[in-house]
Amino acid sequence: MAFMVANGNQGGQTLVLKDVDPETCMIVFRNHWAQVVKILEKHDPVRSNVGILGVGHGLGGGGGLGGLRFGQIPGDEASAVQNYVEHMLILLMEEECGQSGAMGPILEFVVMENVLERLFIWSLRREFTDEMKLEQLKMYEMLIGQARQPLLHHKPILKPLMMLLSSCSGSPSRPSSAVVEAELVLLLNQLCSVLTKDPSVLELFFHTSEDQGAANFLIFSLLIPFIHREGSVGQQARDALLLIMALSAENHVVAKHIAENTYFCPVLATGLSGLYSSLPTKLDVPNEDWHCLSGEDWQQLPSLVQFLNSLEFCNAVIQVAHLSIRDQLVEYIHNGFLVPVLAPALHKLTLEEVMTTTAYLDLFIRIVSEPALLRTFLSFIFLHRHDNVHILDTLVSRINTPFQLGTVSLALFRTLIGLYCEDVMLQLIFKYLISCNHMMLSQRRVLRERDCYSVSAAKFLSLTPSCCSPEIVPPPLRHLDSILWSKGTDGSQKGTEESEEVLPEEDDCVIGSEIHLDVSYVQYLSDAENNIANCMRACRVWSAPYDGENPPPEEYQSSTLEESGRTRPQITSKTTQPQNQVQQSSQPVRDHNAAPGLLELEWDDSYDACPTQPHPEEGQDAGPIQDEPPQHIQEMRRTAIMLVKGSYMEEAEFQNDVMVYDLVAQKDVQDSSNSCHASSKPAESEQLESGEPTSNQNPTESSIRNGPSMEDCKKKEGEPAQSDRSAIPEGEDLMAQYEDLIRSLAAQSSSQTNSELKSPTELMEDEVEFNSFLPETPELERMPSSPFGTKPCSASRGNAVPFTGPFVSVLLSRLENMLNNTLQVNLLLTGILAQLAAYPQPLLRSFLLNTNMVFQPSVRSLYQVLASLKNQIEQLSATRKDFPELLTAAQQCLLARESSLRDSQSPKMGDRIHGPEADKTKKYPAIQPKVIVPSNRTEVYATVLFTEFLKELAAIAQEHSILSQLPMEE
Amino acid sequence: MNTFWSMSTNVGRKRSDGEEQGGQGEPRVSPARPPFGKKQLPSIPKNAVPITKAASPATSVQSANGTHASYGPFYLEYSLLAEFTLVIKQRLPGIYVQPSYRSALMWFGVIFIRHGLYQDGVFKFTVYIPDNYPDGECPRIVFDTPVFHPLVDPDSGELDVKRAFTKWRRNHNHIWQVLMYARTIFYKINTSDPLNPEAAVLYDKDIQLFKRKVIESVKLCNSHLFDQPKMDDPYAISFSPWNPAVHEEAKEKMFAHKRLPEDYNKGLQVSGLSWVKPGSTQPFSKEDSPLQT
Repeated sequence: MAFMVANGNQGGQTLVLKDVDPETCMIVFRNHWAQVVKILEKHDPVRSNVGILGVGHGLGGGGGLGGLRFGQIPGDEASAVQNYVEHMLILLMEEECGQSGAMGPILEFVVMENVLERLFIWSLRREFTDEMKLEQLKMYEMLIGQARQPLLHHKPILKPLMMLLSSCSGSPSRPSSAVVEAELVLLLNQLCSVLTKDPSVLELFFHTSEDQGAANFLIFSLLIPFIHREGSVGQQARDALLLIMALSAENHVVAKHIAENTYFCPVLATGLSGLYSSLPTKLDVPNEDWHCLSGEDWQQLPSLVQFLNSLEFCNAVIQVAHLSIRDQLVEYIHNGFLVPVLAPALHKLTLEEVMTTTAYLDLFIRIVSEPALLRTFLSFIFLHRHDNVHILDTLVSRINTPFQLGTVSLALFRTLIGLYCEDVMLQLIFKYLISCNHMMLSQRRVLRERDCYSVSAAKFLSLTPSCCSPEIVPPPLRHLDSILWSKGTDGSQKGTEESEEVLPEEDDCVIGSEIHLDVSYVQYLSDAENNIANCMRACRVWSAPYDGENPPPEEYQSSTLEESGRTRPQITSKTTQPQNQVQQSSQPVRDHNAAPGLLELEWDDSYDACPTQPHPEEGQDAGPIQDEPPQHIQEMRRTAIMLVKGSYMEEAEFQNDVMVYDLVAQKDVQDSSNSCHASSKPAESEQLESGEPTSNQNPTESSIRNGPSMEDCKKKEGEPAQSDRSAIPEGEDLMAQYEDLIRSLAAQSSSQTNSELKSPTELMEDEVEFNSFLPETPELERMPSSPFGTKPCSASRGNAVPFTGPFVSVLLSRLENMLNNTLQVNLLLTGILAQLAAYPQPLLRSFLLNTNMVFQPSVRSLYQVLASLKNQIEQLSATRKDFPELLTAAQQCLLARESSLRDSQSPKMGDRIHGPEADKTKKYPAIQPKVIVPSNRTEVYATVLFTEFLKELAAIAQEHSILSQLPMEE
Repeated sequence: MNTFWSMSTNVGRKRSDGEEQGGQGEPRVSPARPPFGKKQLPSIPKNAVPITKAASPATSVQSANGTHASYGPFYLEYSLLAEFTLVIKQRLPGIYVQPSYRSALMWFGVIFIRHGLYQDGVFKFTVYIPDNYPDGECPRIVFDTPVFHPLVDPDSGELDVKRAFTKWRRNHNHIWQVLMYARTIFYKINTSDPLNPEAAVLYDKDIQLFKRKVIESVKLCNSHLFDQPKMDDPYAISFSPWNPAVHEEAKEKMFAHKRLPEDYNKGLQVSGLSWVKPGSTQPFSKEDSPLQT
């Protein structure tokens, strides 16, 4: 009997049989078994009941093991059994199938004699220690993994296996040890892969379970507790579950069982909530540039890694599982995680917490890839209301906060618009453009016209500030990425790629001195081409081209008006009807539950009104839904009272909260002439903030830096009022005023009165002073500056005011403040706008890029904002002698920054100066800027960036003139 | 001519290869180049910009504004590319053009006359676009072999285009119109103010002789069909006799499948999302999400 001993990787010993005659094996097996049986029977408590069935039933399930133990089993007998069994197992494993798939003789014997079940009972009878469990688990693992004939089809093998599994699974009160769990999961994983290879076993698994008295799919149920486990055990369990999920896609019995009889989906979804709650509520932000969680960031947070593992698992389940499971899981994630956990987290009380949640949300959306799951996340962001406020509205308005929250919010939106998702773009932008109200009627027909002669590109480029003109400041890029134009490139050279390899030295001379061709522009053209092409390709799945005809502007307009008549007064009727009448007419049909779809289209004006929304019904908006004031108002009340009572310092964080809501409320739709108001916000908030570390701008400096522009003067006018405001905490006599105000606010939101609403801050402002702004502000575009109230709106304002939506407004107003923004904010802003400009839909393209388009006076265009920025820059450079040198230095700094980013980060995660340049494989020599321009010289960096942004836009406009016109064939 | 562009050696900038109208199966062989039919235009190499070393600063593209001077060549390039895409869009019957390899201002073309007096004529021509396009004169069309036609100069082969485009107006006039005009003259013959008075007189006075002369001229042109292209340019249009080994496969391909191969989108994983029910303009209004995975 030639047994060769080899060490198996399973920890046990594996023997390899070579050339042993099957009959001999059978004889050996029988002999071994006879020996084993002797020992077994010797210790059997009920000798008369040796019968197979009797034993099985008597001890099934391993229930009361303790009572069944019959005296002490001597160690030598135990090890003798173990030795015999080991040999027997090897014999069984090595046995080949009988003829035409019949059982081999050993297997037949095992089945007849019920060998495995008796062995299992034997091991129960001894002390069922972890060691014993491990031994048994490994035995099966080896058998299943290495047997040459299918074993699991046979009940006498399957049944003891199931008993073993359930006895190893442990219970909440007596959890199994980690070793046993690891082994258990390994075996379960193995069983799952057998299942997927041989679905016929599946039936047996179900039936065996039924025998056990519970109609469950045991191996599945046993895996569920490990879903969220960290480490390799969790991973193996998730892998195993995924195998079953894939199985469910084809086997509806499995799918039905999982969806109806197990807690798989709820466990998975609520597990997310549990894991989320252990995430840090505040992140240690490395610097003010930080705006999103990169791979490096989250890999350092074990709790986040664990959460993402589970999220990715959900994603994978949704990808492979049966639709019924998918739908159920998605629903549980929405109702069990997003709504109850993430929504409140997005409305936490401190800036840091809210910022952290926003960064998490951004990360989650980047991680999730499965459309069904993504849809859940997106519809949560875009449709869900928290405290009666759309999440989207809150998120959009946070873009305008001067804190890092604003930066992180921008990063979130960059992610969102990068999804090429029609629903996202519809809600953010297109629904405001479809009606074509933003443009002059005569312009509708030129909407789809193309810019054949690069007129728009030329107009954008003509905004290049004189101090940045390529002739004055030759782009330093030239030395790195010069036009590689070699005379050798003639017709014989077949490819275009080779020319890239040409060394720059050869080419420097090629650039004529007469014309400074901006080399970097070619890169922008190339990026633009790729971006637009990607975008066009992606948008082919969209439901409409958004070209000013489809969806039809008229229809959209009328239908929205019609619909909105049910939810809010007709915009046109407002001018003629007294406001209260309007209210009455709209109230009866105002049912949020009845018409959720319609309401979704609305910009929530109770929170943050925009000019398209008539305000009178705002009180109602909040009224019927809630008797209590919204939470943030209650919060505000509390904070305000504390503020006045001087107890503020104890809970300094609330101040941030007030600030957020205040700023949120001032979400900007201001016309450019009102920019002083917008640009003063960072300063004003910082004054209140009193040295909060998140602040990144020096208010005085920024106001000085702005130069003696018109806006600046206006801004200074406004400042006294603001500083008054910052003195509020000391004003004891304001207490009463505050409380009155807050009481009226609360009353307002619950009793639907239509009185003017004013925020505490607003009230403090000198009305006369404040009103002095107004003439400069086109009335139609002014924003209310209170989070829960709105400026009184005159009846004349109720006309359908052309409005391109809060998102575009907020982007443009932040862009307008470009010179005071941090570099990162500007990178994000220009990145977002460039991405938007790459969308091929004529409505958006014409709005952003067509510089010849005539818009309604109240609509601010990108070009206008850029033009005003150019003026600001010209004024700056005229007054600063060192400006040109600083610009050159800043260019160098930015190049150095970019090349270091390129080196240190994966091309996907790294943010670049502009656009995706991932295809740029060429390594640049490390750049060492000679002079470091301090990062607080935001205006210098912004000027460089501005110039580059113009090129980027021009390049996009040029590529559109070619790409968008090519017929889209399938 | 075309000093402005003559030096540029940009392969990549040409988005303009053959197969303009596709599917004709004409025996036309050009130097190796990627087919244009793909919507994915060849990516622009960052370096292969059409620049000129000895640019002529006097040309009108430049203005006092430095920015404009720097980008002028880009505007011109894109204007021409836009014109070319328009030509493609028009699908002019029997006309094929492609910009030359060396300059975007010079396009090679060929025109097939399918009926009428000039039936079976295959006329190669070159389009010359002024370098101050679109603000200059109208583009010129010169036939490689002077066709016997009242409006074609018998010596230079130049077609009188100006009579149709007395003043070239940007936004209104496009190069495809010029090409269309070049085709029209062979179907509707105009004899006023001729460049070839002989042809004009014969057409009016002796149509039979005119017809004979035309047939001779067509024969002459077609006999030069397989000549080497006049211009030494890799994108010049050249013909070769039907060679099944070379052409049969290409012909079958042309007839077999439409422009975009099935696997066009594969490998480019960019895919958009939409849950908007068509016609609803309501986000997330689609019942299920039958999205491609």
